[in-house]
Amino acid sequence: MDVIIEQCLNGLSLGSLYALIAVGYTVVYGIVQLINFAHGEIFMVGAFGSLTIWLLAGSPTDMSIGFALGVMLPLMVIGGIIFSVLTAMLTEKIAYKPLRSAPRLAPFISAIGISVFLQELVRLFYGQIPGFPDARNKIKYPTITGISGASVDIGGVQLKMTTVFILCALAICTLFLWFYINRTKVGRAMVATSQDQMTARLMGIDVDHVILSAFAVGAGLAAVAGIAQGLYIGDIGYKMGFMAGMKAFTAAVLGGIGNINGAVVGGLVLGVVEAFASQLGDTAWKDVWAFVILILVLVFRPQGIMGAKVVDRA
Amino acid sequence: MTIVSPELQSRYGKPARIVAIVGAAIMVFAPMVPWVYTGKILDDMRRAFDPSGLQILFELVALVLLGVLVTSMFGVKLGKYKNVVAWNSTALAASLGGLGYIAAIVLAVAVVGSQKGLGGLAAAEPGLWIALAGSVIASAGSVFLRKSPRATLAKVPSPAWVQILALVAVVAMVLFMAAFAVNLTEVESFLVCCVFIVAAVFVFRATGVMGWLSIATANNRKVLMLAAFAAAFIFPATQDGSDANMTVVAQVLIFAGTALGLNIVVGLAGLLDMGYIAFLGAGAFTAAVLSRSAYATFSIDLPFPVVVLISGTVAALFGLLIGSPTLRVSGDYLAIVTLAFGEIFRITMVNLDGTDGPNITHGSNGIPAIPNLDFFGFDFGKSHEIFGITITRQANYYLLLLVVIAIVIAVFANLNHSRIGRGWVAIREDEMAAEAMGVNTFTLKLLAFAGGAFLAGMVGAVKAYKDTSVTPDQFVFLESCFLLSAVVLGGMGTVMGVLIGATILKLLPEKLRFFDDYRMLIFGALLVVMMRFRPEGIVADERRQMEFHDEDEELADEVEEELVTHHDLLNPEGGK
Repeated sequence: MDVIIEQCLNGLSLGSLYALIAVGYTVVYGIVQLINFAHGEIFMVGAFGSLTIWLLAGSPTDMSIGFALGVMLPLMVIGGIIFSVLTAMLTEKIAYKPLRSAPRLAPFISAIGISVFLQELVRLFYGQIPGFPDARNKIKYPTITGISGASVDIGGVQLKMTTVFILCALAICTLFLWFYINRTKVGRAMVATSQDQMTARLMGIDVDHVILSAFAVGAGLAAVAGIAQGLYIGDIGYKMGFMAGMKAFTAAVLGGIGNINGAVVGGLVLGVVEAFASQLGDTAWKDVWAFVILILVLVFRPQGIMGAKVVDRA
Repeated sequence: MTIVSPELQSRYGKPARIVAIVGAAIMVFAPMVPWVYTGKILDDMRRAFDPSGLQILFELVALVLLGVLVTSMFGVKLGKYKNVVAWNSTALAASLGGLGYIAAIVLAVAVVGSQKGLGGLAAAEPGLWIALAGSVIASAGSVFLRKSPRATLAKVPSPAWVQILALVAVVAMVLFMAAFAVNLTEVESFLVCCVFIVAAVFVFRATGVMGWLSIATANNRKVLMLAAFAAAFIFPATQDGSDANMTVVAQVLIFAGTALGLNIVVGLAGLLDMGYIAFLGAGAFTAAVLSRSAYATFSIDLPFPVVVLISGTVAALFGLLIGSPTLRVSGDYLAIVTLAFGEIFRITMVNLDGTDGPNITHGSNGIPAIPNLDFFGFDFGKSHEIFGITITRQANYYLLLLVVIAIVIAVFANLNHSRIGRGWVAIREDEMAAEAMGVNTFTLKLLAFAGGAFLAGMVGAVKAYKDTSVTPDQFVFLESCFLLSAVVLGGMGTVMGVLIGATILKLLPEKLRFFDDYRMLIFGALLVVMMRFRPEGIVADERRQMEFHDEDEELADEVEEELVTHHDLLNPEGGK
């Protein structure tokens, strides 16, 4: 029983990561019908951005719990978000916006280019900044007192603080997202644009601005996921975006792409399934199963588990 | 291209031409005097009246420029030949090209000179500055020349033998340039040579020779093909028994062959496949597993052609499997499905190591020590002497690959111009409409996947023998990306474009070892820039070019005019 609860928790934390990234895919796809292939890299940039803040703060190692949770962690989160959002907005301006009326293949290939470019940029140049670790190999993520390695005992089950952090992050982000989409002007403009871009434009909505904010929102959540991954797994690397991005995309598709709630549910489901699959001792084939799920969903239920909107795209 | 306003051009046109001619004359003279005092920078540019290779290239540009400028001085006296060549535009292109070329050399001298402790630009002799000055003067004059009307060379009827001769000459020139460029061992020399090639292409385009050549090509497609293959077969002779370049060139061929297969799927049928490297892998692993290697798990001694066919068939079966979801998904969903299949293939190959699955591939170690091919006593592992030309091991495989590529191109070209090819294009343009018109979309899409995969599988079989080992990490997602970029960069749906794209993507990183580390960075940026400014690729399929620039009226007229000219020349009797 304990094992099941433990795997559930593992799955949920993994799933929350996927969910946070998946939201970025879904929001962008819902509005411009583009699979933002570079989104995994935005997630990676977020993780590196938070690391940068930590390094700039003088790489504090023995932090008091108050300082760590009250000052350092919020700073790192905000820093990571700023890096990610700026990168995402920049890529949107440079790589996607000029291609808005081009055939669908063009922005997709452009996205691949951005993805490769960002990875290489981090790999080659991060370590060249004085005092920064070489990013060619995996970098150990800073330990935050009170979260890294700590755990609480609840009724015989060890609850890791990183799990608590990730679940809280997901909860806060989902609440924020709900508020943003339903209660703010930009959010409602986003919904309108995703329903009918032309009409939204006629109603006076600045569609370009809406698209840019969609990229920004997705990037912000991805940055949170990047920090969570750093704390949860313990290291980050320039390659971390590819696999996480693929999994998150699977999650987004699983939940029904374009559907934000679906992305969250899809992420959690995928995480739990993966956790139990590794529990059954099939680690070598773990990624294969994730891809098989992706293919099966795309082929047999492209609208996902939550999606009502049937996607028919050529 | 207009740099100064037309008013200024008409006011100063005449004196500007004189200035340009003076500049061109200086350029012609410049290679006759030394450019640097030592032979250690670039190639040997230190002797008077004995120009080195790079200097001769400059001389060529200068002579073309001078010729064009002087001829066009006669203006109206040229009569009906007045507009045959775009004289002024050519002069502008040649002078700017010459300027770019000499600037590259100056830069290279500065960089190499300071790297080797020869004092950077202090190593330069007056000749270099004379050449630079000449180019600047010529360019300054040329920008004031009036923009010439579109060249009508393409409309001049020419006898077949002239066309064939010209094509053969072009092929010979390309062969010569390729051998020259590949044999340049120094990175800087190679880069300078690349600048020359780009400049030369621009000059050719400006003259209108390109348009004429494309007509000649259309008329003599088979001759061109034969000439190109003959040149490719001669290529090892230019290598003087050295294996270094042949390895690179053979790799380029493998890459190009696979990209051509992908071109069927993406370029013709419009199905975005992001896991294509898996087919090359399937072919390579099949050949390796069947080979006489001590590590092969199904070692059967089959003749090589049979192995190639089996490899192709296995890859084609994979293609059917991967292609089957195309019944239901399309667009970027299909891209993700194929990407997932590609990753599944790679992970499976790693897992078939005896612990996580049955032992077929020895996991991540792969299958090493694949013995060389042996055709009727012709051992591919040894060097052979044929007509006094040494054919090395890599050259053997290069020649074999050429045969395979020839098959691939033949299949591609025939499919492209057949009912099947037209069906694919119809699906690419609008699947719904194609289906409504009675095109059997499902079968055709499957056929695209299976056909492309078969070709890639054949290439994979040769790759296994050439590399002597096959490991799963040769078939990562990044390689699929590379293949796709070769197709996109070169021009989707064209043979020539894909060959050029593959050569650029494979040859440049190999020759430019020093920025090996940066090549992926540049590659990523290149994809973005390419999509932004020329999404149809270097060699554009006409239809595709229209599609990407549908708001560009001028281009539309240009393409239409070209098509009409083509049509008229190919069907002189008239009538549609």
